[in-house]
Amino acid sequence: MENFPNSSLIAQIINFVLLVFLLKKFAFKPLGKMLSDRQKLIADNIATAEQEREQAALIKAEYEAEMQRTREHAQEIIQKATKAAEEKAAEVMESAKDEAKRLKDAALAEIRNEKEKAVVDMRDQAASLAILVAGKIIDQRLDESMQREMVQEFVKEAGDLLC
Amino acid sequence: MLSLHEVESRLDLWGGVFKLWERDSHNVEIMWNLNLAGINLEFSMRTMVMTWIVMILVVVFCVAATRKLDMRRPGGLQNVMEIIFEMIRGQINQAMDPQKGSSIISIIMTFLIFILFSNLLGLIPTLMSPTANPNTAFALSLTTFALIWFYGIKYKGIRYFSHWFKPNIVFLPINLIEEFVKPVTLAARLFGNIYAGEVLICTWLGMFTGWYYLTGGFIAEMIWLAFSVFVSVIQAYIFSVLSINYIGSAMTTEDH
Repeated sequence: MENFPNSSLIAQIINFVLLVFLLKKFAFKPLGKMLSDRQKLIADNIATAEQEREQAALIKAEYEAEMQRTREHAQEIIQKATKAAEEKAAEVMESAKDEAKRLKDAALAEIRNEKEKAVVDMRDQAASLAILVAGKIIDQRLDESMQREMVQEFVKEAGDLLC
Repeated sequence: MLSLHEVESRLDLWGGVFKLWERDSHNVEIMWNLNLAGINLEFSMRTMVMTWIVMILVVVFCVAATRKLDMRRPGGLQNVMEIIFEMIRGQINQAMDPQKGSSIISIIMTFLIFILFSNLLGLIPTLMSPTANPNTAFALSLTTFALIWFYGIKYKGIRYFSHWFKPNIVFLPINLIEEFVKPVTLAARLFGNIYAGEVLICTWLGMFTGWYYLTGGFIAEMIWLAFSVFVSVIQAYIFSVLSINYIGSAMTTEDH
């Protein structure tokens, strides 16, 4: 260890202080600022991402609620429509049944009328025929009014048997 | 086998130009004298010139590393600087309040980088480490010492000196020794390691000459150079971290 201490010591302190100032100004200050900027940027990004995630969750919940509501609404509409259709069908069936019954009744009535008419016609014709036949067979043994009465009775019996 | 000074004078390629390695008849380094207002100042020109070289290298390195700072995609030297910066900041935040610590980060960074470059400069043949001169080592450790007192008094006022009397006044001499031994150990550790490294490099060169060197003597030198790189980094780191811890314990309120 030669020449210690000497003025180099003071010079070295001055050199060092000078170096500190130079580096602080040109290197470490910008570096520190950049690092804190980066830290801030990252923190901001994380905060933004979290905020956006929260928003997304909110929107999703809203959307799901909306979907649920829509589904319920649709269900309701379908139910209503089904019910209405069923009612309508029942109504149609009912009216159809009524109509059929009415038609049937009308047809029956007509048939009955026709039958009665036919019976009356048949009776008349049978009577006439019988008279004709009887008149020819029996010939003049009874007078006509008596014959008619007898034939009428006979025809009635025959008619009752026929019908 | 050559003596240390013989090796040094043979390595002195610059001697003819700068006269930095010149020695007088008693083999003592010739100093550069400056008479300032009646006070005679003596400078070791070798150390001063080496310090200036290191300063230029450090400034160039740091400015190159922080010239184009990219916040999103750091590359190359910027990454190196960021790693060193974050490491030092982590150490500072451990040792003291980060708010207070932000003011010393530039100084500690300069300690680390300046000492690292100084130590490594000595490994280049014909150059020497500024830190292999005790004046430099003590200049650095006295800076730390000044910082310890500055921050101690700044944050504790006159009460900073009360720790000399803890646990009671009987311990005053021990506490005083502890206080003033801090800069001495800092400087001695740094100077000793680096100076020993340089001496041993010269010793190996002097011990194995000619054919001895070529046929295996260089291996010892090579191993020692590799180890010196390691020591250079470790010493720079130790100096910085110890400075942080000394300043940190001076700032914090009540312990030891």
